[in-house]
Amino acid sequence: MTCWTRRQFGCLAGAMCIGALRPQAARGQAKARIIVIGGGVGGATAAKYLALGSEALDVTLVEPKAQYTTCFFSNLYLAGLRSLESLTHGYETLAQRYGVNVVHDTVTAIDPVAKNVSLEGGAKLSYDRIVLAPGIAFKAGAIEGYDDAATRIMPHAWTAGPQTRLLRQQLESMADGGVFVLVAPPDPFRCPPGPYERASLIAYYFKQYKPRAKILILDAKDTFFAQDVFEDGWNRHYPGMIEWLPGQFTGGIKAVDVKDRSVKTARDTFKADVANVIPAQEAGRLARLARLVDQSGWCPIDPMTFESKLQPAIHVIGDAAKAGNMAKSAFASNSQAKVCAFAILAALTGSERLAPHLFNTCFTLLASDDAVTSAISYRADPETIKVNDFFLSKVGDKAETRREAVREADGWYAAFTHDIFG
Amino acid sequence: MPGESTAVLANAGHRQSACGLQRIIARSMAAGLALSVAELSFAADNGQGAQLAATCAACHRLDGHDVGIPSIVGLSEEQFSIAMGAFKSGERSGPIMRTMARSLSNEEIAILARYFAARGKETQRR
Repeated sequence: MTCWTRRQFGCLAGAMCIGALRPQAARGQAKARIIVIGGGVGGATAAKYLALGSEALDVTLVEPKAQYTTCFFSNLYLAGLRSLESLTHGYETLAQRYGVNVVHDTVTAIDPVAKNVSLEGGAKLSYDRIVLAPGIAFKAGAIEGYDDAATRIMPHAWTAGPQTRLLRQQLESMADGGVFVLVAPPDPFRCPPGPYERASLIAYYFKQYKPRAKILILDAKDTFFAQDVFEDGWNRHYPGMIEWLPGQFTGGIKAVDVKDRSVKTARDTFKADVANVIPAQEAGRLARLARLVDQSGWCPIDPMTFESKLQPAIHVIGDAAKAGNMAKSAFASNSQAKVCAFAILAALTGSERLAPHLFNTCFTLLASDDAVTSAISYRADPETIKVNDFFLSKVGDKAETRREAVREADGWYAAFTHDIFG
Repeated sequence: MPGESTAVLANAGHRQSACGLQRIIARSMAAGLALSVAELSFAADNGQGAQLAATCAACHRLDGHDVGIPSIVGLSEEQFSIAMGAFKSGERSGPIMRTMARSLSNEEIAILARYFAARGKETQRR
């Protein structure tokens, strides 16, 4: 035994003093096996809360990467306000404190009949339930010429890590007076304010180091989340630097050419010095592999439990889930993971079940001293998930309110990542 | 390995494994020092309070080590209920907390108040 886990501590404590209170840990009784696939925000949260909730579950988390870099707050890295290391988290605490069996491997097949999962390394794991948190994939062929090789010239940086680092390097290398083109995706996509926060924070960087640079947003959409708040922020902080072209103006984004870093729309071709292409999205690869996706490209689920409507005993959480009106965000994934974990605990251990509480909260930076906030509570019923209550910062907020939100955002990041990985 | 402790438990009465058990207990005490009391008390709990508190944990650390976000562990029942009531009515500003408070029933707020007060007392006692 090389590490000590909460699970083991719990069993010993039970043996010594409160054994009668822990019927699930009875000797010899087989534990229900839960395999959580995907170690992003949703998967890591689910693994932690499942392990915390009962000694009677054997929780395995399968994730290929040794560390996870959060996509949320990665725009602060692009702005030079945070290091990428400060956004990177390991799985050690999940294993050591909570007893999650962390397996760094890639899932190659999920067999819902035999109820097992095959791993690239050769192992085959049996399960009673799966929690799948596969994140997003980019729709193949959505933008002509934007393939894997193109992402190394014109990064998407929509999963954080090497892609984010590449985009930052390109921005640093760009000459003052250069043009940065950001291609924004159609709905639905991960993090609705994300592309516009990115434009804001890259403008923040340009304003200091390349004040003659321009930012051009080529959008697939005609409107975007909190548009008035963003446009007000751009006018106040970066007048004349950011131009946004809606889909109805461009006729849609058609193709990219990596040779001259250009983006072709229905009407024009725009040449970029640095291009960030965020394509249309769908549920991650593993969701398609396990046949959990409907014609929308996302995974239909029971909103009360997040169990797939297409495969029993497989729950889908996070960006890949078709969760009614819930935004695709890290906060929403964390919230869904808890509802899913408590539903599984209730089904497998008989623990009490409360009505699901689903939330989304978001801090979005327009500049280093100007953050806007949003908060949404949702109501889930057996059919869908609807917005119950909604708050969003407004144009004309006091400067101190926006400064205070930046401080809150920092505190929130620390608490939130502790909730997931700590 | 998660299964190992069950094996130890099953053999605990046997003389030959008692040494192993003592060694493990000694290690558990050493490891216990590294675990925060708050995290431990949360561990065995999936009751109403813990389920609702999981929502709070997305912004407030349940070990009380918040920076930039007010800590809620250790508030008395009364303090917690009054604060949530004030957010709910709009008497106290804070749009995120107002949205949260308005989504909770008075009964759920009372459950949370008891839960956080009890956690606070437990932390102090140890």
